[in-house]
Amino acid sequence: MTAAEAPAAVAVVKERKRPSLVARLPTSPIAMTGIGLIVTWIILALIAPFLPLPPPNQQDYASIAHPLPSAAHLLGVDLKGRDILARLLWGARTVLTVAPIAAISAYAVGIPLGLAAGYFGGKIDMLISRLGDIILSFPIIVLYVILIATIGPSFLNIVVAVVLASGPGIARIVRGLTLEQRHLDYIAAAELRRENALYIMFVELLPNCRGPLITDFCLRVGYTIITIGLLGFLGLGLPPPDPDWGTMVKEGTAMISVRPHMSLFPAIAIVTLVLGFNLLADGLRELSLKD
Amino acid sequence: MNDMRDNPHVKVLAGELAEKKIDRREFVRFATLLGLSATTAYGLAGKISGESFAPKAQAQALPKGGVFRLGNRIKEIKNPHTYSWGAYDSNMSRQVVEYLTFTDEKGVTHPYLFEKWDVTPDLKTWTFKVRPGVKWSNGDTLTADQIIWNLKRVLDEDVGSSMLGLMAGYMLKDADLGKKDDKGNPKKSQVLWDANAIEKVDDSTVRFNCKVPQVAVPEHLFHYPMAILHPDDKGVFGVGSKGTGAFELVDFSVGKQATFKRRNGYWGGDAALDGIEMTDVGDDPSAAIAALASQQIHGLVFADPVQYEALAAMPHLQFYSVPTGETQVMRMKVAEKPFDDARVRNAMRAALDPDAIVKVALHGLGRAGEHHHSSVAHPEYAALPKRPRDVALAKKLLADAGHPDGIDVELNVPTDLPWGQVQAETSVEQWKEAGIRVKINLMPGASYWDVWTKVPFGSTIWYHRPLGIMTYGLAYRTGVPWNESSYSSKEFDDLLGQAEGVYEVDKRRELMAKMEKILQDDGPLAQPLFRDTFTFMDKKVQGFSMHPTNYFFGWKVGLQA
Amino acid sequence: MVAFVLKRLVGLALTLLAASFLVFVVTEFSPGNVARKTLGAYATPAQVDLLYQRLKLDDPLLVRYGRWLGVLTGILRDPLQDPDLKLDFRDPRGDRYFGNFGYSTLFKAPVNDVIWDRLKNTALLAGIAFAIIVPLSLVLGVLAGMREGSWIDRTISIFGIVTTSIPEFASGVFLFVIFGFWLGLVPGTSPLTTSAGWSIASQLLLPVLVLVLYDSGYVVRMVRGSMAEVMNKPYIRTAILKGLPHRAVVTRHAVRNAMIAPFTIILLQINFLISGVVVTETVFAYPGFGRMLLEASLSKDISLIEAATLIALTIAIVTQLLSDIGYALLNPQIRLS
Repeated sequence: MTAAEAPAAVAVVKERKRPSLVARLPTSPIAMTGIGLIVTWIILALIAPFLPLPPPNQQDYASIAHPLPSAAHLLGVDLKGRDILARLLWGARTVLTVAPIAAISAYAVGIPLGLAAGYFGGKIDMLISRLGDIILSFPIIVLYVILIATIGPSFLNIVVAVVLASGPGIARIVRGLTLEQRHLDYIAAAELRRENALYIMFVELLPNCRGPLITDFCLRVGYTIITIGLLGFLGLGLPPPDPDWGTMVKEGTAMISVRPHMSLFPAIAIVTLVLGFNLLADGLRELSLKD
Repeated sequence: MNDMRDNPHVKVLAGELAEKKIDRREFVRFATLLGLSATTAYGLAGKISGESFAPKAQAQALPKGGVFRLGNRIKEIKNPHTYSWGAYDSNMSRQVVEYLTFTDEKGVTHPYLFEKWDVTPDLKTWTFKVRPGVKWSNGDTLTADQIIWNLKRVLDEDVGSSMLGLMAGYMLKDADLGKKDDKGNPKKSQVLWDANAIEKVDDSTVRFNCKVPQVAVPEHLFHYPMAILHPDDKGVFGVGSKGTGAFELVDFSVGKQATFKRRNGYWGGDAALDGIEMTDVGDDPSAAIAALASQQIHGLVFADPVQYEALAAMPHLQFYSVPTGETQVMRMKVAEKPFDDARVRNAMRAALDPDAIVKVALHGLGRAGEHHHSSVAHPEYAALPKRPRDVALAKKLLADAGHPDGIDVELNVPTDLPWGQVQAETSVEQWKEAGIRVKINLMPGASYWDVWTKVPFGSTIWYHRPLGIMTYGLAYRTGVPWNESSYSSKEFDDLLGQAEGVYEVDKRRELMAKMEKILQDDGPLAQPLFRDTFTFMDKKVQGFSMHPTNYFFGWKVGLQA
Repeated sequence: MVAFVLKRLVGLALTLLAASFLVFVVTEFSPGNVARKTLGAYATPAQVDLLYQRLKLDDPLLVRYGRWLGVLTGILRDPLQDPDLKLDFRDPRGDRYFGNFGYSTLFKAPVNDVIWDRLKNTALLAGIAFAIIVPLSLVLGVLAGMREGSWIDRTISIFGIVTTSIPEFASGVFLFVIFGFWLGLVPGTSPLTTSAGWSIASQLLLPVLVLVLYDSGYVVRMVRGSMAEVMNKPYIRTAILKGLPHRAVVTRHAVRNAMIAPFTIILLQINFLISGVVVTETVFAYPGFGRMLLEASLSKDISLIEAATLIALTIAIVTQLLSDIGYALLNPQIRLS
């Protein structure tokens, strides 16, 4: 690139002044399919209390002998005579609360650590990276199972486990992104202005890392949903009797050869929601690569 | 040996049978306990009640050959005298090492390695004859000395066998042997109450001289840790261990598989099967179903109600079940708020609908409990007036106890038995209607057993025991180690003490009725069901019957080609 | 290079040390203690208290951790094997040797008797899965990435996203219902014994399929992304413009360069595989390391958890090391430092 060309290049970039990632979402069919799936589940979860459904924990003793889908129970009932549709929708409320909160909490921990490691470098970087490496070398499920089997399954503990398991990974990504930006002019400029370190990290650096982080966030929410389902399947799900998708799959497996619907519907629920987040993530990545 | 028909207890029992105070089954059960042979007892029963009655032929012609494959958990089996699972570990070793008596699926105790016995009228001196001609797998002959070695070993407190809990009351006493614990404080020991408590009369006769009367000695001898091992094996069991049983263990891999081969020269006649292969099917109830569906195994040691429907749908399987006293007791610590108020405990009971819980948790494979932990499977069970579910009463009781807005409590539930979880969840829904808000805290079985005697509110499995008073003595007597609710009632203790000295079922039932009522009015438990234990076996399997404690006997079984 | 490997090995030892301490701390939060687990549910409180005192379980955490380390390295005797305890815990290797992981309270056997056989079974399962995942993902990833936006690319990408969205526990359960229960083609469980008439191969089929489905979707997308990126590089464009046949450009130039990034990812799959293995082994009652680890965690069998974690960590870290070395070999511009 010669000196003469440089201003022109800048001008071109200015001229294109690309619309934000979010604004360009409608151009990606993959991302839109993902959003469609997620939004559908969010709407279903929101309207669950207003639908003419039995309470999710209510047992219809009469229906136990005839658990298949019927007019009274559109998706049938489970082993305990509870309406599967009601449990799916109420379960969606749980999973759509726990998974994003857990992922956001993991970011709340991972971002500052990653920024600090990348921005300050040196001993701080050493300490944070080493600690993160140790946790990251654990096979992740081992970490989850040991943690949850030990501290017990609950809303809060699942969040804690996700933070512990995902935090270091997020920190590593943020650190990498920070290192890329660390030596760019705008940081030097900010330092020259004597902005404090917190300001530089959160106001200057962070917004420039957001692209890859948004994609990563979607993937992580999807993975967290799988993890919550997995914990439920391993018998470490949220405490009963409140509906938990993974536990629903698990409880149905004993009956699966005769009553496949008991496991199938909750399994479909997990897959569609995770698929929604994975498609959205893929669409976002595709869009950001086109920059 | 005197003719046991002259035993005064047998006469009392016969009188009760004639007056229809007990049924034939109960008569046979108690008469055999006292040393009457089962055949004589059945004959006598027929005579008294005027109906002919013959025991079902035990030895039917079984097809010979084949390897039986059983789905089980392959737990460690090294120390039979200290087993704590029963259904898993003892079902492996019992194919090789055997027991002195045999309690069948109907609750009747038969002679086994002890060929016969009698007891003095005061129920304190039990004399047992060792079965002649029983050979160990190494060719040795079974002797009284070997049996006494086993008996003394399980009663040695350092060994840590749960036989102690059963037999301490009539065989042991507290003593100060000068032992100190690690902090240097003097420690009480338990030793045989008398040097002659276990007496060798001659090479084929063993006598128990009990401290206090005990009616259930032969049944205690069938408890799963009471396996008779060859003293040369020093209490350790494994591949190649000597046994008196019909099989020998040829291969063992913990968590995976145990393989048994038929041994020739078994005293009971050679087994029909060539061998038995037990495979670990894991804790996941669906893995066991899958293994049965693919015919990888012929049957399961026992099945859980959640597996029932899937297994019942497979045409190649046969269903076996038996009623028992097995239950999960949702027990409340009486010293903890809010359970320190008997009205609260009563409200917990009144708000439950046992029939509905049996339907949901057991798929109907059991019967409703009456919150007093005494089952129709026990001989001394007394029927009390029914107490139907009464939500209004429960609310009123709570209000009277100062909880007009209901209560919030946490129920600890172990996860190892799926039906127990279903019982808990169903109960929680029913309690909710009475303003009793219960949060369930699930924990893996291993964690629950750490805290089962400590948590304020917990759901504890109690397996079948042959007599109702055995359960009461273990769980509700003041101060005993397994009294998990810290329940204490002098009236109850007195009644229980009396009942343990009474052999007439009818008289004991009167006492039982009083104890049951105390538990219903004041007790520490909500106990909505008793389950039938059951399993499924391939239709090729012959001769199998379900045992209330899930025991499996390879010599009883044959396989159709 | 030697210095680099040495340095990493020291790092490995330090990581293992830190991780084992972490496991110790985490299990510390749980109720109950080794004494109770050793004696079982029906032991009296007095028996438990006695063993508790003899094992000195009320010592501070650090002291107990030090003791555990001592037993592991063969400096101290395994306290559970003390004959005075009358537990009959015996290890044929003795009570003091290097690599003594102690006694499993779950299996009531030396950890070394329990763990290696299962690890071998898992290595078989994971090895076969890995041997399928890698070539399959490479081929699909390259096919998709070399013509970005084509229908092949779209199909493969969607397939990849869908399979990574299906958790192993769901695919395992439903694959069994279809192929095992309805069609009767494969057995429902995989005990790895042949006495019931099912071959070992038929028992491995579904577990391998479950692992392959879940993990390959992820790798395919990585390879595809990397491939697409390389195909957009100026030197590839130049080669195509120069008139070289498309196929030659792909095989001679693009693939090698596109492999660098996924190489790391593929080796990191070992870590993912271990996670998948826990679920798969549980669903199919496979006698492996993953199911053992789950059972150990559920029953808080600390000796077994520690041993399993250290082994899993070692595998993960060694593969990381291999991936770093391989990365350097593939890409000479990177210097190992």
